[in-house]
Amino acid sequence: MNRINSLLAGVLSSRWMKALAVVGMAGVAEAQGGNRWAPFPPASDFGHRFSELFWLITILCSISMVIVVLLLLIPLLRDRARPGHKANYDHGSSLHDKRLTAVISLATFIVLDAWVLAIAMKDLREAYWNMPEVDQAETYPIEVLGQQWAWHFRGPGLDGEFGTPDDILEMNQLTIPKGRPVSFQMTSKDVIHSLFLPEMRTKKDVNPGSINKTWFKPIEAGEFTILCAELCGYAHYQMFGNLTVMEQEDFDEWEESASLLGIAAYDPEDEEAQWAWEWEE
Amino acid sequence: MSGQHIHAEPTNFFRKHVFSVDHKVIAKQFLWFGLIWLGIGGVMAMMIRWQLANPGEPVPVIGSMLFPRTNGVLDPATYNTLFTMHGTIMIFLGLTPLMIGAIGNWSIPLMIGARDMIFPLLNCLSFWAMFLGGAVGFISLFVPLGATEAGWTGYPTLSTTINGVGSGETLWAIAVFLIGASSIMGGINYMTTVIRLRAPGMTWQRLPLTVWGIFLTSVLNVLFVPVIGSAMLLLIMDRVFGTTFFIPASIMQGAGGGDPILYQHLFWIFGHPEVYILILPAWGIIGDLLSFFSRKPAFGYRAQVGAMVAVTLLSAVVYGHHMFTTGLSAMLGESFMLLTMIISVPAEILFFNWLHTLWKGNLRLTTPMLFSMGVIFVFGLGGLTGIYLATIGTDIFLHDTYFVVGHFHLTMAASALFATFAGIYFWFPKMFAREMNEFLGKTHFWFTVIPLVTVFCLMFVMGYAGMPRRYYDHTSAEYLRSLQHLNKYATHAAFLLGAAQLVFVYNFIRSRWWGKPASQNPWEVGTLDWTMETPVPHYNFKEIPEVFTGPHEFSNPDIPDGKDWISMTEKLKA
Amino acid sequence: MRSPFTQLVCLATVAIGTLSSFKALNFFGSDPRADEDHSQMIAEELPHARPPRGVPLTITEGTWLRAPGEEWIIQQNELARKQGLEPRFTEDPSAADGEGAWIDSTGFIQKRYDEEEDFWAYWQWVGPAQLTRGRRDFVQFCSSCHGLDGDGYGRSGQWLRPSPRDFRQTNFKFTKVLANLPTDDALKRLIKRGLDGTPMLPWDLSDEQITDIVQYIKSLSPEGMGWRDPFTGIGSIVEAGENPWAGRENFAIKHGEKVYHGVAQCMLCHPGYVNPRDLPGLLDQPEDTVYRENLYLPVLKDSEYEVLGEKVKILPPDFTFHTIRSGQTPQDLYETIASGIKGTAMPAWKGSLSEEDLWALAYYVQDLVEEYKDKPAERRGLMERLREGL
Repeated sequence: MNRINSLLAGVLSSRWMKALAVVGMAGVAEAQGGNRWAPFPPASDFGHRFSELFWLITILCSISMVIVVLLLLIPLLRDRARPGHKANYDHGSSLHDKRLTAVISLATFIVLDAWVLAIAMKDLREAYWNMPEVDQAETYPIEVLGQQWAWHFRGPGLDGEFGTPDDILEMNQLTIPKGRPVSFQMTSKDVIHSLFLPEMRTKKDVNPGSINKTWFKPIEAGEFTILCAELCGYAHYQMFGNLTVMEQEDFDEWEESASLLGIAAYDPEDEEAQWAWEWEE
Repeated sequence: MSGQHIHAEPTNFFRKHVFSVDHKVIAKQFLWFGLIWLGIGGVMAMMIRWQLANPGEPVPVIGSMLFPRTNGVLDPATYNTLFTMHGTIMIFLGLTPLMIGAIGNWSIPLMIGARDMIFPLLNCLSFWAMFLGGAVGFISLFVPLGATEAGWTGYPTLSTTINGVGSGETLWAIAVFLIGASSIMGGINYMTTVIRLRAPGMTWQRLPLTVWGIFLTSVLNVLFVPVIGSAMLLLIMDRVFGTTFFIPASIMQGAGGGDPILYQHLFWIFGHPEVYILILPAWGIIGDLLSFFSRKPAFGYRAQVGAMVAVTLLSAVVYGHHMFTTGLSAMLGESFMLLTMIISVPAEILFFNWLHTLWKGNLRLTTPMLFSMGVIFVFGLGGLTGIYLATIGTDIFLHDTYFVVGHFHLTMAASALFATFAGIYFWFPKMFAREMNEFLGKTHFWFTVIPLVTVFCLMFVMGYAGMPRRYYDHTSAEYLRSLQHLNKYATHAAFLLGAAQLVFVYNFIRSRWWGKPASQNPWEVGTLDWTMETPVPHYNFKEIPEVFTGPHEFSNPDIPDGKDWISMTEKLKA
Repeated sequence: MRSPFTQLVCLATVAIGTLSSFKALNFFGSDPRADEDHSQMIAEELPHARPPRGVPLTITEGTWLRAPGEEWIIQQNELARKQGLEPRFTEDPSAADGEGAWIDSTGFIQKRYDEEEDFWAYWQWVGPAQLTRGRRDFVQFCSSCHGLDGDGYGRSGQWLRPSPRDFRQTNFKFTKVLANLPTDDALKRLIKRGLDGTPMLPWDLSDEQITDIVQYIKSLSPEGMGWRDPFTGIGSIVEAGENPWAGRENFAIKHGEKVYHGVAQCMLCHPGYVNPRDLPGLLDQPEDTVYRENLYLPVLKDSEYEVLGEKVKILPPDFTFHTIRSGQTPQDLYETIASGIKGTAMPAWKGSLSEEDLWALAYYVQDLVEEYKDKPAERRGLMERLREGL
């Protein structure tokens, strides 16, 4: 089993696989601002795994589809009804046919599904399920509150605690540091939303009444997109925001001044404005 | 068999054409009902596509008539209503009545050699429950505060009064409930009929695949439609009586304490089998038609039936893949991913057998045959793209993007629709005693399949490029503006697709009243429905026939008279 | 003997039962409802609407609402004539009271006499049909934040700062008019544009729908307040006039910096964007002038707007950090600065400052936004300069 795993890992991390993902992204870089046919390149570590898996599935599916089309086309061209032509009388019920059915179906399953499944499991276990613990010093926690139709983000500020005056409150704008895992806890005021960060290749529903968690690790600095991916009513299409990933030193300054502005805006008498919840471990 | 009397033919107009208990009349009622709703849903799709390509511009021709208050422009609320009702109509009021109602009602008694359904009155009730559901759904479009806007999935809390206090959403839930009741009645009737009223000699292994498909669909209907029924009831209670099944405590200020995720479980326990409810009859129909028109026995009949049964069983345990982003635990996510992958095995068996049925056949490329081969093609595309969505890693990105829209339109919409068209072209001569025009039929096929594949493959590209679905205007966000050109292409193709359906409408209407009179067995197949005279007499069979051969004995060297087919009531030589 | 059907039904029951028990055992992931801590999120004892039932949707009585006066009507007509259109208002001598009235597509305006107060004012009649249409659109589109009764406390409006408007307080921040209340056109423009950086979006509604909604919102004023107050002033959006700095924008920014920190004293509430050590030089003030502490931060100010009976406080924006709500072009900024923000510490500056100074301020603020907002490296440099030596 280990050998198979390492073999798979070898194929996946091989250069041609990476090159293919790059080819898939080609045209995007040039076409920025103009028309595009592909997503912008991934900016999170999990995003690269997504791209590789996507192209693996695409290759396997394309091969399968070509086979299906060929098997449709050959009889279509060769076996059309014409005088004197007879069909082959074959129920396909012989033992040989049964074996053939089983072998081909299982082979397809193994090549098409099991392979993908194995790599998907590997990705999930190595990256996606490994939600970082919050007491790890390097993790940056964010509380997300969705509403019709805006995103509220609350950073812990300088003291690292939620529900304190120096919390950083942002609306439709999220600022995070590069190269550190960012951990999200999310809930909604009214209806279900879904936090969709296309360049980070991640998405998680934001449900009212319960706290949902997700995380990713941005590996590139820049401006990215936040979208809502779950129908949330009239202005669903206008519920988008901006994700800024900063280099650590820029982020440190930003965090400090945002924290100070948070303290400046803090009104202890206005309790209702403090919607933070205690960070769940 | 027991209980198959011959009643006198009703003479009263109402008894004969409106509240008829004759399965053939009910089948035609379902057919007309389904086609009209298919048309309405199609026009809605055209309006949606118009808005996506030309955001904020007045809908041409019909816009100012339908939306006078906005001078023909679709506002976001109307847009939300349109895609919600498009989904609801196409699934519950278009494909379900056509495929299960019309083709099921028509073919089951005729194909198994019965005089009628076992519960004729229930059959009538089933149609009128659906009619009522359709009427309620239609009325819901015109109530104050607008119709439903929560998507065909109707997720709370968006579908509860938290989003809208108007009665549109409530009426929508009532409509779905009524249609569900209709499906359950139909399902019970079909199952019992197939089990009890098969003609002598019509063993389970001689049952045509069409009947198998519809039988298994009925099983799913009876098992899973009650789940959506209960979900709708709870939703109605939340909306009307102030309960909080789906409204969490944080919204309710501590009172209540329901969970919107509970609804999602209920919905998808039904929702995923619903996909198979629509696709199983399609598989059955094309399994038969591919054999009929290749003049070859259905390759691996038992394997095909086995695969369909396996899908029926598995369909209940894969629904979690609709909820990968809702916060399923890792263990559940992985389990559902595995189960979803496993369901591709029966699909692979079916593909293998269909393609093998064509191999070395004697292909008669009639319109029904073209549509059946079309099913293989579009279901191939749709099924393979399912792998992206079954895999959590890729689904996280693709979930709720146009990739999903393209996927389910190819699998459950296009495949089921193609099989329905194949069925209509195939049974039309028996239903209306007239032939449909073959040239127009083939034109319809080619002008349907090419734009259809274009539209939905473009949607794969859009989804892969990150375009979320259910957006009123994709030019609003910077990220999506660079994808707007894809929307334009898709809309052009969609309009072509819509226009091609006019060929079908013309062909259908013209052939229905002015077509060439059909012979008894124009397709030269041996199943029981083609052995009786055309038009089919009231109460079908004067004497219940006895069956001696299977449904697919084509090109059997033992057939007498040098024909390549044999009726199921005839015996083979030797 | 059991039929296959009965067996299948039993199977399904078992399956669904199992699933529900999974649900009960929190098998499907974290469920904080079971978690006591989570309840702190649920602010208790808030007068929050329960799932609404029996919400009234029909308004049976029309109402009189304060309208702008004759001057405005004549101005509107002239404006229409200039654009080559029919005059918007036509005089209608047949109206009741014999005082004459003006009619346009939204209804008619009349000068009426208030005997108690001995006061003549212009009033507009709004019919029940229009109010009902407006009410329904309001419930459908606006109520999620502004509440079903227009109390500014809808489900999505809770915890939101700044809070959605309570229309019964008749206090509108970004109307951009000099008078107390805006004209219909000013409100309509606000709804169509939305407010940047808030959930108040640009609304893709038809003109007719927005007109109806505006009439309904106006009708929410309590007796003797807002549009039901005969003495209230109603004005159009402040006119920007000729831009004195056209072609000399760089000088405008330089001048604006002086006005911002000098004459207008903006830095009393907003942050100062010059290091206090350099300010005396910039403003020609004595070297030992003392400025407020932490000049690089804004100061929290009182406002007249109440949420749940308590006056809320508002932080004046730091232009290099916060999003400006009411537009970022010099034109928009001019309008905002000239007309002030109602109910907050931001006064109307038109009249107090010269046109040149107002425009210069607008250019200066726009320059701040362009140079520093969402530009981490640049902003970091600015902040280091501002705090240097403190």
